[in-house]
Amino acid sequence: MITAAHGHDGDASHEHGHIPAARMVRVRVLRQDVAGGESYWERFEVPYEPNMNVISVLQKIAALARSRDGRRVAPVAWDCSCLEEVCGSCTMLINGRTRMACSALVDRLVEEDGEEIELRPMSKFPVVRDLVVDRRRLFRSLERVKAWVPVDGSYDHGPGPRISPEEQEDAYPLAECISCGCCLEACPQFTKLEAVRREDESEADFEKRRRAAFDSGFVGAHAISQAMLFNGHPTGKMIADERLQALTAPGGIQMCGNAQNCVAVCPKRIPLTRSIARAGRAATVWAIRKLFDR
Amino acid sequence: MSDSSASFLERHQFLIYRLFSLAGLVPVGAFLVVHLLTNASVLAGAGTFQSRVDMIHSLGPLLVPIEWAFIFLPMLFHAAVGFVIIANGLPNVGSYPYVGNVRYTMQRATGMIAFAFIIWHIVQLHWMGKPLGGGQFDPHRAASSAAAALQHPLVAILYAVGVLSTVFHFANGLWTLGITWGLWTSPAAMRRANAVSVVVGLALAGAGLGSLAGMLTLDRDKAQAEEERMEKRKLQFEPAAVGSPEPAAHTGV
Repeated sequence: MITAAHGHDGDASHEHGHIPAARMVRVRVLRQDVAGGESYWERFEVPYEPNMNVISVLQKIAALARSRDGRRVAPVAWDCSCLEEVCGSCTMLINGRTRMACSALVDRLVEEDGEEIELRPMSKFPVVRDLVVDRRRLFRSLERVKAWVPVDGSYDHGPGPRISPEEQEDAYPLAECISCGCCLEACPQFTKLEAVRREDESEADFEKRRRAAFDSGFVGAHAISQAMLFNGHPTGKMIADERLQALTAPGGIQMCGNAQNCVAVCPKRIPLTRSIARAGRAATVWAIRKLFDR
Repeated sequence: MSDSSASFLERHQFLIYRLFSLAGLVPVGAFLVVHLLTNASVLAGAGTFQSRVDMIHSLGPLLVPIEWAFIFLPMLFHAAVGFVIIANGLPNVGSYPYVGNVRYTMQRATGMIAFAFIIWHIVQLHWMGKPLGGGQFDPHRAASSAAAALQHPLVAILYAVGVLSTVFHFANGLWTLGITWGLWTSPAAMRRANAVSVVVGLALAGAGLGSLAGMLTLDRDKAQAEEERMEKRKLQFEPAAVGSPEPAAHTGV
């Protein structure tokens, strides 16, 4: 919410003076001090500037390190890097919906949702601190479906096959994935897995248990789409069957419930449901082949 | 979980979910289409409906095993897996009110309504019609007994809700089945398939509500007279076809 700052705002009034009253941006942040800890709401107010985005609001909150009621508090922690919606690291729930903080403009948010801006960490990944979440599962999914072109080896494989412009055009949108996790956050079939280390458990055992939980959970739209990207690549398709094996394993393509939220929230407008349907078709053919060819 | 410790259901998850999807179309969905169209024949008169019912009941002693193999067991399988799917999902239509997401949520809601409705529908027409002002379905008095069972306004409303939920579940499921199996993959193809699913859904909703209206507006005395005439004729020509000692044991339409 943008409001006029009032004189009784304590330190803020000394910093910005009484006249003229500055426009303020109000923010409500769902904070959490440690992984597995209790979460709590904290309200902030920062001076408005034209063209602010949520990241610049968070930067001002960090500089201020004070809640709206004037208490000194630890700065809110968040992840970001590129600030131009290509690194995928600043995903959070802004006014209840998953999106990149860097491309969430304050003017637009106030216009659309009004009042206070609400920031919450992603709900499908364990919180590390405040708005920072642990997205290892997202990357583990990419490993599960072998989302790469297998060219590692001890000798030169020579030049790869040529790719027609048509194939390039088909593949390019899929290659735009930034692993931001919006598709997973909005997916009703992708549910949070948060393993907590038991007291009698070694670090290695805990890691093993967490990995096992990841590996039977839903892989998610991003990984399905990347599997389709690399299964369409002339060199990548050399391990197409391994990817289909992974996509039909527990937690694979069958977990999709066709809500199609993934494609609706994808900031890169990747045709995720097309990838899912193509993966469904590939899995159908592959399963029949496996049944009759063995 | 490693492969050795994973549960049977988890190890065969892909196969089970695909069989679940298939079962929704055949035989369960196919039965729904036949069932609603058969019922809608009451709009052409009690005699037409009675002859359709007679055709189904001409299966004689085979009817019950066929019903279990091709209707009840596949339906129970579809429902059991469906409840697992519902339990593992986390609907979020409040945060993401997109059409697809609303349909996702409706698919689950209508699935549960359809399940409850179908169980009640079977129980009501076989064992407990009378307390709700109806009566047992009698395959030799097909239209008049079905109409009697539906007379209570509350029953009629429950049937309308149940039938529409079941039809939505089938029509929407038809569309998602095509995505699941990879029949339609591009957004444009999905839109075209959606239009077809909508038409199928509207047609079935028309057949379902038409059957209900046909039963509710039926002149039961006239229908019963017609049914008795038909039974006499049947007895005259092939007495064995009607001599079922226990009509209530039949579970058909």
